[in-house]
Amino acid sequence: MRKRLLLLLALLISVGSFAQEKYTLSGTITEAANGETAFGASVYIKGTYIGTITNEYGFYSISAPKGNYTLIVSYVGFQDISTEIVLDKNQKINFDIETSATQLDEVMITVDDSDKLNIRDPQMSVTKIKISTIKKIPVVLGEVDIIKSIQLLPGVTNSGEGTGGFNVRGGAVDQNLVLLDEAIIYNTSHLLGFFSVFNADAIKDIKLYKGGIPAKFGGRVSSVLDVRQKDGNNKAFNLTGGIGSISSRLAAEGPLFKEKGSFLVAGRTSYINLFLKAAGEENSLSFYDLNLKSNYNINENNKLYLSGYLGRDNFNFEGGFSNAYGNVTGNIRWNHIFNDKLFSNLTSIYSEYYYDLTLDLFEFDWKSSINNYNLKYDFKYYASDAFKLDFGLSGIYYDFNPGVIRPTTETSSINYFQLDKKKALETGVYINAEHKLTEKLTAQYGIRYSTFLRLGSQAVANYENNQPVVYNETLGIYEPSTPISETNYAANKKIESFANFEPRVSFSYQLNNSSSVKAGYARTSQYIHLISNTTSVTPLDVWAPSGPYIKPQLSDQYALGYFRNFKNRNYSLEVEAYYKTVANRIDYIDGSDLIGQNNIETQILNGESLSYGLEVLFKKSLGDFTGWIAYTISKSSQRTPGGTAGGPGINNGDWYNTYWDRPHDLSIVGSYQLTDKWSFGTAFIFQTGRPVTYPNGQYVYEELSVANFSERNANRLPSYNRLDISATYVPNKKPENRWKGEWVFGIYNVYNRKNAAAISFGQNRETGANEASRTAIFGIVPSVTYNFKF
Amino acid sequence: MKKVFNHIAIKSTVSSPVKTGVYYLILMAILSLSSCTDVIELDVPSEAPRLVIEASINWEKETVGNNQRIKLSKSTPYFDTNGTDPVLGASVKITNDTNGAVFIFTDNSDGTYSTDSFVPVLNNSYTLEVINEGETYIAQENLIAVPSILSVYQSTDYFFQDLLEVNFEFLDPIDEVNYYLIKFQEAADLLPTLSTLKDEFINGSLITISNERREDENINQVAYAPGDLVDMELYGISKQYYDYMTILINQSESGGPFDTTPVPLRGNCINVNTPDSDPYGYFRITEVSKATYLFE
Repeated sequence: MRKRLLLLLALLISVGSFAQEKYTLSGTITEAANGETAFGASVYIKGTYIGTITNEYGFYSISAPKGNYTLIVSYVGFQDISTEIVLDKNQKINFDIETSATQLDEVMITVDDSDKLNIRDPQMSVTKIKISTIKKIPVVLGEVDIIKSIQLLPGVTNSGEGTGGFNVRGGAVDQNLVLLDEAIIYNTSHLLGFFSVFNADAIKDIKLYKGGIPAKFGGRVSSVLDVRQKDGNNKAFNLTGGIGSISSRLAAEGPLFKEKGSFLVAGRTSYINLFLKAAGEENSLSFYDLNLKSNYNINENNKLYLSGYLGRDNFNFEGGFSNAYGNVTGNIRWNHIFNDKLFSNLTSIYSEYYYDLTLDLFEFDWKSSINNYNLKYDFKYYASDAFKLDFGLSGIYYDFNPGVIRPTTETSSINYFQLDKKKALETGVYINAEHKLTEKLTAQYGIRYSTFLRLGSQAVANYENNQPVVYNETLGIYEPSTPISETNYAANKKIESFANFEPRVSFSYQLNNSSSVKAGYARTSQYIHLISNTTSVTPLDVWAPSGPYIKPQLSDQYALGYFRNFKNRNYSLEVEAYYKTVANRIDYIDGSDLIGQNNIETQILNGESLSYGLEVLFKKSLGDFTGWIAYTISKSSQRTPGGTAGGPGINNGDWYNTYWDRPHDLSIVGSYQLTDKWSFGTAFIFQTGRPVTYPNGQYVYEELSVANFSERNANRLPSYNRLDISATYVPNKKPENRWKGEWVFGIYNVYNRKNAAAISFGQNRETGANEASRTAIFGIVPSVTYNFKF
Repeated sequence: MKKVFNHIAIKSTVSSPVKTGVYYLILMAILSLSSCTDVIELDVPSEAPRLVIEASINWEKETVGNNQRIKLSKSTPYFDTNGTDPVLGASVKITNDTNGAVFIFTDNSDGTYSTDSFVPVLNNSYTLEVINEGETYIAQENLIAVPSILSVYQSTDYFFQDLLEVNFEFLDPIDEVNYYLIKFQEAADLLPTLSTLKDEFINGSLITISNERREDENINQVAYAPGDLVDMELYGISKQYYDYMTILINQSESGGPFDTTPVPLRGNCINVNTPDSDPYGYFRITEVSKATYLFE
C-alpha cells in the first residue's frame, strides 16, 4: 500500500512539473437571480478539451498555457456565458449565470449532460437531478417525493408500494448512504414509507451514485444519495409555499449581512389528521419537517455554512398508544480556498435518529436511538488540466442505544431493561485522482482506507465454541445459544477492530465526439447494519455495529457502460451493465426474534448477496417535450450457508430472491409544455411483482388450518403497473406581479389498477376455509396542489 | 388485518404485538384513506401429502390425566376444502423415559388414537413413537408445569370503552424461565384464538391476560356480549414449543409488508427411516390451567 501511495505522489509531482508555463483561472459560479451556487456547471475553453465541472460549492479551477481564449460557462436551464479571456497570469473570475429565457422549455433531466464533458468523465453510474425536474413528475397526493422520483431511474427499485427506503442495483435499504448536506439520514420515510423526509422546497439538487462511488464516500456498500439543501437567496427576500392534499409547506429565504450571507427556513406539516377525523377515525397521524440553512461569506476565500434538519412522525392511537420517530441533523461547514488550485471544506456534523413508543395500555415505554458525531476534512487539488486530486479524512463516533424499556406506572408488571448500549469509531482516509491520460482516455483512480473500532464500555456475551447460533441436527433448525459468560470492556477499551482498503478505479474512453465507453471497479465496506427481518424496513428497526459476531459487509462492483449523445445532445443513451457481490450480508434464522433482543448475534448468520443487471436510459433533454425511458433487467439474490453454526444454512443454503428483486423494471416519464400557462407530466411504471412465499399445503393442528411454506421468496406477486398524469396551470403571468402561483392537478394510478402490495394467507374464522387476501394500497388518487412564490 | 380485531392482549409484555400489531394499526389508519383488501383467486404450488402428528398431551390441573388422545392425518393442498385426510392403521405409543412405563394408544379408526391409562409425572421425559406405512416417527418432550389461573373477570377495552373483554391472572414463577401457550374460545367459535408468551421482561410478575373482539362483518364476528361463555386455557410449554407455536401463530395470517418471510414449520417429530420427510405437527406434553367465564 505504501508503495502505491508513493507512486501516486510521484505521479502527482511529475504532472506538476509538466504544468509549468501555465496559468490558472478559478472562481465560483452562482445563479444571478438568487445567489445559489451552481453545482455541476461546466467551465471550459472553446475548441479544447480543457475544462472542468464546478464542485458542490460552485467552485471551479482550470489551468491552461498562456494565451487568449474563449471561455464557455454552461449550466442546464441557464444561458451559456461566452467570454474572451487573456490568460497571462493566475486570476479569479466569478460568474453569475442568468436563467435562460426559455426556462420553461428547460431540459428535464440534467444527468451531467451540460456539455460533451459528460461522456469524457470517467465517473459512471451516477445521476444528478435538479429539484425542478423532480417537481414535474406526477406523484401520489401531489406530494413531491425525491425517494419516489429516483425509483423511476434504471437500477432503483423498492420492496413494494408504500414501503420505506429504496434499493439500488439489488442492494438493501440499509446499504444506501443518504446524506442531507453531508449529514447521515438514517430513515428516509415519513408515515412508514408513503412520503419522503425531504421537503422539495428546501432542496437544491440530488446526486445518486449507483456504483463507481468516489473514494471520498464510505460506509455503505450500495449507493450514495447526496442531497443538497438550497443556500437561500442572497439577493432578495422571498416566500415560497404550497397547499397540498396531505401537507402544506412554507419556506422563507433572503439575504443576511448585506448580501454577504443568506438564510433559508422551510417547514412542512401534514394534516392527514383532519381527514382521519372526518372519516370517523379517533387516531391521529402526522409528520412535520423543519429545514434550516444559512451561509456567510467571510471573504473571497472563506465561507461558512450552517445547516440543520428536524423531522418527526407522530402516531397516536386513541390516547393509549403513542409513537414518535424522526431524524435530527445539524452541521457547520467551512469552505476555505487555500489558493487558486486548492479548495477545502471542513465539516462538523451531528446526526441522530430516534424512536419512541409509549404504550399506556401496557404501562411501559420504549426508546431507541442512534446518533453520531462526524468530523470531515476534504480537499480538492486542481493540479493541472490533466490531473486533479481529491483527498481527505473523516471520523465518525457512534452512540447506539438499541432500546430501553421502562415501566411508566408503579403498578406496571414490566421490568426496567436496558439493552446494551454500543459505541464505535469509524474513520476513513482517501485519495483519488482524476487523470486525463490521453486526449481520449481519462481515468479516475483512488483508494479509501477505512477502519472501525468497537469501543467499551460494554459487556459482550461469550458462547460455547464461539457459536451464538447452533444447528439442531435432529430437528433441522437453527437455534439461538445461551451465553456461557460475559466479557466486560471498560470505557473506550477496544472490543474489536476492522480495517479495509477500498480501491476505486474507472476509465472513460471517448470513441468519437458523441460517444464513449466507460468501465469501473469499486470496493466498498459497510460497518453498521440495519437489523430487520421483515419484508419492508420499519421505523422500529435498530442499527447494529460490526463487532465480535457481526462482520463488516464488503462489496465488489464491476460496471461497464456505453454513452452516446444524438442530434446535438438533444437525445442521449446510456447503457450500463453491473455485477455486484456483497460478503457478510446478515440473514435471519427461521423464527428470528429481534424485538428487544439484546443478543442479535443469536438470531443471525452471515451470508452473501449477488446482483447483476443491465440498465438502459434513453432520454430527450431539450424542447417542449422532454422525458426518458428507463429499463432495467436484473437479478438480486442472497444465500446464507450454515458456516460455523453448522448445517446447510438458511433456506437450505440455497440462493433465494431478495424482497426487492424486480427482474423487469420499466419507467416512462414525460413532460410537455403546451403553452405558457399549461404543462403536462406523465409517468408509466411496469415492474415484475415482488418476491413472496406462497403456501404449498395445509394441515389441521390445534383445530387451526396451518399453512406449510417451503423455500423463501420462491413465488411472486402479480406484476405491478400504473399510469400517473399531472397538469400544471400558471395563471396570469404578469411580470410585474411579485406573487406567482401555480395549480398542479394530478391523477395517480389513472386506470385504477389494484396492484397487490401484499397477498396474505389465512383462515376465514367463519367458514374455516383458507383464503388469499390482496391488499392494494392506492387505487386511483386525484390531487390538487397550489404552489406560490412571493 | 383481521388479526387485530380478535386478539389476545397480554397486558404486560413487549413481544411481537409491538411490531406487527402496532404497524398494522398505523397502516390501517393510513389505508383508511384509500386502500382496499379483497379475497382473490390464486394458484399456489402444491407438494406431496405428508404425515401430520397432533400429539397434544394435556394434563389439566386437579385431574389424573389418564385419558389422552392423539390425531394422525395427511396434509392437503392449501385451498382444498374437503377436510382432513385421517390416517388409519398406525401404531402409536408413548414411553416414560424416566420410569420406563409404556402407554399404547388404540386406533379408533377415525384418525384418532387413544388411551385411558396415561400417567403424567411433572418434569419427566416422554418419548412418542408412531409407526405408519413402514416408517417410524419419534419425538421427545418433558412434561412442563403451569401456574394456576388465580382470578377471572370482565372489563372494558382500554381504547374502545364499549367493548367487553375477559381477563385472567396468574403469577409467573420468579426463579425460572417460563413459556406459555394461551387459548381463548367462545362456545360458538369455530376456531380458537391462540397466543404465546415468555416471561423475559415480566419475570416474577402477576400477569393479566385479556381477550376481546371487535365487530367484523366480513366474518360475521360480533363483540363479546352478556351471556357469552368463554373457555380459557393456560399451558406451560417448552422453549422449543414456544418457538414453534410463535411461528405458527404469526404465520396464521402472513404476507403483509411488516411480516417476516413465512418459513417451514419444523416440529419435534422426526422420521427415523427417511429424515428428509419429517412429519408436520408436534408432540407436546404439558400441564394446563383452565377457566370458564360467563359474561354478565
